[in-house]
Amino acid sequence: MLPLALLASPALAQRTGTPVPADTLRRQRLDEVVVTATRTEKSLTDVAIPVSVIGAKQLKSMGSLRLGDVLREQTGLSLVADHGQGIQMQGLNSEYTLLLVDGEPLIGRTAGTLDLTRVAVGNIQRVEVVKGPASALWGSDALAGVVNIITQKPQPGLRGSLRARYGTNQTADFSATLNAGGERAGFTLFGNRYSSAGYTLQPASGSATVPPFASYTGQSRLTYSLSERTKFSLSGRYFVENQRSSAPTLTEAGTTVAVDYQSRQTDFNLNPTLTHRFAGDKVFATARLYYSRYHTQEDYAYAADGSYYDATYFTQTFLRPEVQVDYRPRPNQTLTLGTGLRRETVAATRYDQRQLMQAAYGYAQYDWTPTARLNLVGGVRYDGPSQYAGQLSPKLAARYQLSSWLALRGSVGRGYRAPDFRQLYLNFSNPTVGYSVFGTNQVAAKVAQLAEQGQLATDPATGQAIIYQSALAQAGSLTTESSGATNIGFLLEPKLRNEALGYRLTVNAFRNDLSNLIETTTVALKKNGQSVFSYRNVTRAYTQGLELENSLRLPLGFTASAGYQYLIAKDKSVVAALEAGQVFRRDPATLQTERVRAGDYGGLFNRSRHAWNAKLFYESQPHGLTASVRAIYRGRYGFADSNANTILDADNEYVRGYLLLNVAASKTLGPWLSVQAGVDNLTNYTDSAYISTLAGRLLYASLSVELGKRPTAPR
Amino acid sequence: MKNSFRPALLLAAGTLALASCKKDDDAAPLTSVTPVTPAQSKTVVSLSAAGTTSATGQPIPARHYTFYSLADGKEIAYTDSNSTKWDVGFRGTTILINGGTSGPGQGGGQLYSGLFADLKTAPTTGYAVDAAAGFALPTGSGKGWYTYDATTHLVSPIAGKVVALRTATGKYAKLEVQSYYKDAPATPSATTPSGYYTFRYIYQPSGTDLQ
Repeated sequence: MLPLALLASPALAQRTGTPVPADTLRRQRLDEVVVTATRTEKSLTDVAIPVSVIGAKQLKSMGSLRLGDVLREQTGLSLVADHGQGIQMQGLNSEYTLLLVDGEPLIGRTAGTLDLTRVAVGNIQRVEVVKGPASALWGSDALAGVVNIITQKPQPGLRGSLRARYGTNQTADFSATLNAGGERAGFTLFGNRYSSAGYTLQPASGSATVPPFASYTGQSRLTYSLSERTKFSLSGRYFVENQRSSAPTLTEAGTTVAVDYQSRQTDFNLNPTLTHRFAGDKVFATARLYYSRYHTQEDYAYAADGSYYDATYFTQTFLRPEVQVDYRPRPNQTLTLGTGLRRETVAATRYDQRQLMQAAYGYAQYDWTPTARLNLVGGVRYDGPSQYAGQLSPKLAARYQLSSWLALRGSVGRGYRAPDFRQLYLNFSNPTVGYSVFGTNQVAAKVAQLAEQGQLATDPATGQAIIYQSALAQAGSLTTESSGATNIGFLLEPKLRNEALGYRLTVNAFRNDLSNLIETTTVALKKNGQSVFSYRNVTRAYTQGLELENSLRLPLGFTASAGYQYLIAKDKSVVAALEAGQVFRRDPATLQTERVRAGDYGGLFNRSRHAWNAKLFYESQPHGLTASVRAIYRGRYGFADSNANTILDADNEYVRGYLLLNVAASKTLGPWLSVQAGVDNLTNYTDSAYISTLAGRLLYASLSVELGKRPTAPR
Repeated sequence: MKNSFRPALLLAAGTLALASCKKDDDAAPLTSVTPVTPAQSKTVVSLSAAGTTSATGQPIPARHYTFYSLADGKEIAYTDSNSTKWDVGFRGTTILINGGTSGPGQGGGQLYSGLFADLKTAPTTGYAVDAAAGFALPTGSGKGWYTYDATTHLVSPIAGKVVALRTATGKYAKLEVQSYYKDAPATPSATTPSGYYTFRYIYQPSGTDLQ
């Protein structure tokens, strides 16, 4: 009955799930369902593309507070710090991964990074990580993959929970959830306060690595069944974070003054959704509207007298109505059609005026299971032109069940990332250093304006302003970044005679070919010796590697898992130059120049060749005890060039690899009370020079109260 | 009679011997061998072309260029700037070559990409000469012999760039700048005194062999 229910009614995550037996952490969830892979409900083991799922039980056992803590422990994902904590997937930077909450995108990226500390973990049902380009379904930014956070849906009954946690660096986290569910209506409410005194890895610098902050998250969902077949849901989320710090700043005169910094970030989302299952159970339709507003305000003032030093603001809005229809003429065929409109605006200190980007899109997907063993999924999406050409993103995936315990899967697809507001419209001049950055939409006009004002450096021979025409022409024709990728692998799950044992192995080999990656370029020289920058499409690169993950369910309540990723990420033009013998380096001690060999090239910066993780979970339901030990190893990675050839080729250009050890344990003290304690980074590993995201050993303890019925594991 | 024959016989033998040598000479005429002057190679450490800094910390370029003769292997006083005694001149990151607008010599320069040892023969054409529109060795980070990193504030000679030179007197040389900092430290910092050239060169007084 259960598998049939899964196949016969494709639905969105909002639908309240069919109840399953009381779940434990250790049980192999063969019927675990994911929605991000095909935008329809599908079993995790049936999907044709690599997907990982982190369930609620595991989240609780890990004791994680924010999304970054959860994702950094997953195979193939690395946390990188660049204007905030971002996630690196298959060797691709954080701006190439789409972050969704219940299928709707989070907005507000700074220089491409969406800061993961904005996302609380307290009401997450599960996190689905889809690897490989998914632009055929999700559009722009889904180049490396998609991370979709599915939040808890209203469950029948009335229950609530409270949790308080306190730890090192005065990190305090308070969460409260409320769930009320009846016959037709359901309601959930989640509130969270997360604050910390921050930490400093380099006290001599006078400024904190992470300044103190306090953030609040409120999220609510209301569901109502208008009829047996029609359901309505409205969800909203509000996040606000305040941060303040003080840092010594160098002024133009060369003196140092203390400047106080205060920032406030707010993020608001509203998402009404209507679903309808047509008579005959062959057609299922969803209409949804998503509105999001992200605003950040930064104020700088002199510490001495509080007078104004600088202030900036940034406001981005996003509006998206969308309609999706799933048509299932037969149980083994599903046709999905969707269309929608994206409307984004940005207004900020560094933009001349409020800018608007608008595009319509449509997508189609055909999911076909011609034989019991073979499943084929083909999809394509077209995103209409906005400030860039229209994009067509196809994808094809296949899954073949070779035997009862072995399945092969492969997929090819295209991903793309459209130039963002910053790359198109930015108008920024640094007041102290003196350089300027202009978005490509207006760089030609701005450069002409500077030339007229006599602010550009002039060529002494010709008297003309120094403008690099070829770079300027490239900036004027900025286009989307794109990738073509292939993912091939298999899923192995032997049927063991001993019921208490279970084993699953997934292996995935991938290759991403990237082209037209956008980077900054100098277009003109200013009189003060500084440059005028804009953006152009330049880099051709590739990432390839192998990822394997296995988990083993053992008797007595233990589950062990281990994962490994091997990654190579290189710039194609550098590889070509190396093979032509045109790359050199100078030994700083002997001052001798030598040719760099192709084998010396370490690839792109900030990527580890080797990364692995090993975890052990324990659960004992009769005793109400859970425990976990997790080890995460990140191999050495390139930091910056130090021998003046701009590439990674010398041992001293790497950051040492490191191992993080996290432990946690929890115990229920009564029918509704439980305590948890843990240590993150048990060995207190820090690298104050190179790694700003490691704060040292973090101890914490939390107390949680669950009121109402003890929850069964919901979908 | 017998006695007088012997010297004649010897003479005949000698002449025959000489004649046979002469035959060899006819087959492969000897070329005149001029004495080979070996190329002169030298490494100059920390030649100052630095300026000073003002009271407010602003850099002031040196008043005069530092002139150097590759042929003589020594610094030339700036008072001789209008002569062919010097081959290259340094001031800050600018390198002059004695020719064109910089001086009365026949000097010229071009940048070669590769290892210092790989430039075995001097090119005979393609030399740029200092002119009003620009120097033979272009100024500006990444355009000539160095790059300037705006974050570390360091001037680094580009690895794999060698200057092929024609000297003031029309001879050939190759030069590679190795460091821009005083005493050529292995890890210069933003505060290390800059404008001190450490370079090596090979000067060929006759011909184009630069090995």
